[in-house]
Amino acid sequence: MMFLLWIRGVLARRFLRVAGAAAGIALTVALLSAMALFLANAGASMTARAVSAVPIDWQVQVISGADPALVGKALADAAPVKAVHQVRYADVAGFEAQTGGTTQTTGPGQAVAFDGSYLSDFPAEIRSLSGTLDGVLIAQQTAANLHVGPGDAVSIQRMGLPPVEVRIAGVVDLPDADALFQAVGLPPQAAPQAPPDNVLILPQEAWRQMFDPQQKARPDTTRLQLHARLAHAALPPDPVSAYTFVTAAQRNLEARVAGQALVADNLGSRLGAVREDALYASVLFLFLGLPGIALAVALTFAVTSSGAARRRAEQAMLRVRGATIKAILLLSATEAAVAAIAGTAIGMAAASLLAAVAPGLKATVGIDGPTLLLVAVFGLLVGLIAFLYPAWRDARWVTVAAARRTVNRPNAPLWQRLWLDGLLLAAAGLFFWQSASTGYQIVLAPEGVAATSVDYKAFIAPALFWLGMALLTIRLSATIIARNGALLRMIVAPVSGALAPVVSAALSRQAGRLTIGIAMTALSISFATSTAIFNTTYNAQARIDAELTNGSDVTVFGTTDKPAGAHLKALASLPEAAAAEPMQHRFAYVGTDLQDLYGIDPHRIGRATGLSDAYFSGASAAGTLALLAATSDGVLVSEETVQDFQLQQGDTINLRLMDARDHQYHPVPFKFIGVAREFPTAPKDSFLVANSAYVARTTGSDASEYVLMRARADPAALARKASSVLTFDPSLKVADIGQAAHLIGSSLTAVDLGGLTTIELGFAVVMAAAAAGLMLALGFYERRRPFAILAAIGAKPRQLAAFLWSEGLLILVGGMTFGLISGLLTAWMLVKLLTGVFDPPPEALSIPWLYLAVVSGLVAASVIAAVLSARPSTGQTAEQLRDL
Amino acid sequence: MHALDAHEIYRFFHIGDDETAALRGVSFHVAAGEIVALVGPSGSGKSTLLACVTGLDEPDGGFVEVAGVRLTRRPEAHRTRVRAASFGILLQSGNLFGHLNVEQNLRLQMLLARKPDDKRIAGLLESVGLSHRARAFPTELSGGETARAGLAVALAADPPILIADEPTAEVDGDTESRLIAHFEARRDAGLATLLATHSKALAQRADRIIRLKDGRIDRG
Amino acid sequence: MGERLVIAKGLGRDFRDGNSGRINVLRDVDCEIAPGARIAIVGPSGSGKTTLLHILGGLDRPTAGTVEWPALGAFETLRPRHIGFVFQSPSLFPALTAVQNVGLPMLLAGENIGASDIGASLLQSFDLDELGDKLPEELSGGQAQRIAMARALAMGPKLLLADEPTGQLDSRTALLFLDAVLDRLEATDIALVIATHDEIVANRMATRWTMDHGRLTTGHRPGAVTA
Repeated sequence: MMFLLWIRGVLARRFLRVAGAAAGIALTVALLSAMALFLANAGASMTARAVSAVPIDWQVQVISGADPALVGKALADAAPVKAVHQVRYADVAGFEAQTGGTTQTTGPGQAVAFDGSYLSDFPAEIRSLSGTLDGVLIAQQTAANLHVGPGDAVSIQRMGLPPVEVRIAGVVDLPDADALFQAVGLPPQAAPQAPPDNVLILPQEAWRQMFDPQQKARPDTTRLQLHARLAHAALPPDPVSAYTFVTAAQRNLEARVAGQALVADNLGSRLGAVREDALYASVLFLFLGLPGIALAVALTFAVTSSGAARRRAEQAMLRVRGATIKAILLLSATEAAVAAIAGTAIGMAAASLLAAVAPGLKATVGIDGPTLLLVAVFGLLVGLIAFLYPAWRDARWVTVAAARRTVNRPNAPLWQRLWLDGLLLAAAGLFFWQSASTGYQIVLAPEGVAATSVDYKAFIAPALFWLGMALLTIRLSATIIARNGALLRMIVAPVSGALAPVVSAALSRQAGRLTIGIAMTALSISFATSTAIFNTTYNAQARIDAELTNGSDVTVFGTTDKPAGAHLKALASLPEAAAAEPMQHRFAYVGTDLQDLYGIDPHRIGRATGLSDAYFSGASAAGTLALLAATSDGVLVSEETVQDFQLQQGDTINLRLMDARDHQYHPVPFKFIGVAREFPTAPKDSFLVANSAYVARTTGSDASEYVLMRARADPAALARKASSVLTFDPSLKVADIGQAAHLIGSSLTAVDLGGLTTIELGFAVVMAAAAAGLMLALGFYERRRPFAILAAIGAKPRQLAAFLWSEGLLILVGGMTFGLISGLLTAWMLVKLLTGVFDPPPEALSIPWLYLAVVSGLVAASVIAAVLSARPSTGQTAEQLRDL
Repeated sequence: MHALDAHEIYRFFHIGDDETAALRGVSFHVAAGEIVALVGPSGSGKSTLLACVTGLDEPDGGFVEVAGVRLTRRPEAHRTRVRAASFGILLQSGNLFGHLNVEQNLRLQMLLARKPDDKRIAGLLESVGLSHRARAFPTELSGGETARAGLAVALAADPPILIADEPTAEVDGDTESRLIAHFEARRDAGLATLLATHSKALAQRADRIIRLKDGRIDRG
Repeated sequence: MGERLVIAKGLGRDFRDGNSGRINVLRDVDCEIAPGARIAIVGPSGSGKTTLLHILGGLDRPTAGTVEWPALGAFETLRPRHIGFVFQSPSLFPALTAVQNVGLPMLLAGENIGASDIGASLLQSFDLDELGDKLPEELSGGQAQRIAMARALAMGPKLLLADEPTGQLDSRTALLFLDAVLDRLEATDIALVIATHDEIVANRMATRWTMDHGRLTTGHRPGAVTA
């Protein structure tokens, strides 16, 4: 009853102070919810990408003598399985072939058989290079070793049995050989074995015919595996949960089969790596978001503290009237609860609305229960503390029984006396310097291993820096304003003219409130600036990364037999295409190592794809291409190749290329002219870049296997058009840059930051506007009386406005100056520290000028709006004078 | 045993390094059915003394008893209870909560003293001449109406002792007379009233005058 | 006798009363102020003294009737040049020193040349010159009110309006204040109108207007000097 009476009155007559606090809490909760939503979706995205990148989820090797049907049943029971296929392996002593009078023999190898529909469920296991897929297939390397091609005969040297002869139907590449031939059941610490070079793939019936006897005679030389694809829809979206789910299922299976089979959990391993990355992503995004959340909390506290004076007076009155401390705190808690509950509810509703409409945030996944609860509790706590802490602090004074009433001289706050801002900045510098001295290697991504080892300490530097800058802003602002010196007068002079001395005197008395306004505006702008710059730089690099993987906006991937270049004219004439350039993709032996070779026209390739200076070592992209154009037999090689062959500029290096005329590898001399670190579509391994004319001349084939295209507008639209143009040739693959999934050291950059950008930057703008405008508006409320008096002694409305404009100008100038500097430096620090994440690392910060201009404009606009709305009208003055 | 007993009250304050004695051994009492006026120049310690006898402040020496119940050197909860039950407090200004209207202010006071009685509200309002202003909010009241509303709130819980600190300082003669009439009605009803005041008119209507000077009772 | 400073006819002023209705603070008030007048407006609190003073001083507009300032010029320029105002509670600008406060009207009017000199001399005439550099928080109530009076007189107005200027002062200080003001205005034709409920103050003025529930009854004290 008492509480109801009180809270009804507060809501009816003091609605603004409750609404203000609720708004601050709503902002905090909305930001937190939005971030949780983004993280959940990012996690789901990472899981989905990881899962789609694993060709074979599980490989279950049936122990010799065990019943495959039982193992298959156990498999189906242990996990949600979508498809299971049988794969048979047989060790062979070697392969032999006769070509052109000579006999080639290989060392030991493998004969593999997939069951009937294997390739429809696991299409990524085999990539056709020449010939057909119907019949016996031979691995690229093996074909090269034996000098055979489609139509040639190969003799299989079985173990302990006479050899059999087969005819080659096609030459293939085995992209997933590492997993396909892994030794299932090895302990995880064991070093991964290299896959065999010599592989033949036989149709199932042929394999059974040839190797069933070998299996009977030498069971240790054959193996049967069940390759399983799990029902990915059944996996939890969050990487950690997905990992737990899959590994639990694996253990379940192992328990069920107990000794009858061994399990290689490819999916689990990949998810384990993604789990690390997901954690890293969470930390990174939390770091980017934490300033915003801190700011929202500070804003809430600022709003509630603005009403604190009146609440304190009410509480003193309540005490006089005989209210117990408990009652006083409960009344305050009631007000707090109303604000907190309303704010939390509104915040969550706002976040879900945001999820529905935010562009780029493909919110397919919602926030899970525990996280939602956490966010709600946080919002409620913020509200309660904001109201109760001052009330409790005042009440404590009273209960100190023998309190002697002393009048303290107001001291500078403790942190200022301790120079905490300086200490924080110095510490930030030290941590940063330490990271810099190790070459910013905070993300260790050994090549080929899809896992990250993160140095979380690296985040300490920018965090300390941000905090130190905030405190420094407060110190400098307070000093400048309170000193009431020439600098202050200079700042307010543009709007106050002759009244500048009076205005600055008035402002210097309100240094505390103005400083808080400046600090909060600065923090908002700093948050917006640092996040925007980081996101923009990040997105730019992610785009470059995708471009590298895909090659260009749209790439048509063909083979030597079915080159995409044959359709160059048709593709180039598409209206959506700005440019279409051919590129050769061949293979060449560098010593015994088979590397990808790309043949380009250096003059024209730049039309279809961007080549960054970072791709090449020691020279700019333009310079390197010019040199290649000038050297017809020039070749760019990888760093590793230079080391292996101790190459000097201009050295001749012999590469063995396959001649189209006789399908044989012949040595071709090239001149080493430079190092290429990256190249469109090139793999992580060593590769070669040369002039397509020279390659065509020396191999007798000018076929361009790839076509790179630049889109006028939307790459996806161009890709669709290209696909439709090429429908008569299904062996050509059309990919656009958006689809580029890539497996690099960290799947972190696979996460689409577009959603994060939208969330954080939207909030930054709102909070920057709120911080400036709200602080100003609340301050005006307390100056009604002085303004009424000034009007009474002859101040014109324009002159009254000068006081307001001066405050607004001060907050704007101070906030933007400190904010932009702090934001820029924080972003620079963050980008430098995360150099390892970017691949290739950014050359410079990408600054979103338009966005920063928009933020600045909106902040200025809200300040102007606050000033305009606070100017007193004549009618108002009369009413207020009655109070005097 | 009197309604209010104060014995040898001492109160010191520290401002920086200086120590000032606001009260130096003040003893007095207020009996039921009388009006006592506390007079003295500014700085004589009137407000401090009132704070001490109502339990809002803890004296450094001496004790205070309300109807024989010790108030000083007791837990805050006890002092609050006694204050709510025994005292009606009327200050110079700031007697009303701005977000509650007159009627709600009265009701709140009753709830705080745990003596809710809606029927009394109408009578109270009538006795201070504010029946027509029951729903008005404090910002809408004139100076005199505010003072009368404050008195109604102070009397809302029917306290045995009324404490008033400069109740007529900001009001006109007419309102002052009405307030005085209330105080006298209280006295006739056997209730106690303690006033601190500058006003000679008010002091003259008291049964006893206690003069404070420099923290001591001035018998001269 | 000179042109009238203020002529008011049939003044009425309503205010909104929360959610309910309107309250008539002034009803049908007629009055005139001549140069050199000494008028006390007396009446109980809530009778409309303050509102009347605000309207006469151009701080507020009536909702009925008319008010004119024949000798004082346009409405926009009334204050501070022609009319000076003193409020009941301390109304000095807390951020400025005493002398800066006194010179404030001149600064606002754009005439700050020599403002400090005028300010200093005004303070002197009120015996407050040592207080020139003090901030309002360092002054006593009586001192602050005298400085407020000095500020009101800064631009040489012909009419001085004071709303309960002694309300927060004790009797001795109130008398000192009144004496200082009357001395300062002696032998000038500056009109002084004080709204007060203090009989002592009212008795020192030549003319007494009585307000009761928004209505005005004017009267003279027999034998007093009429301007």
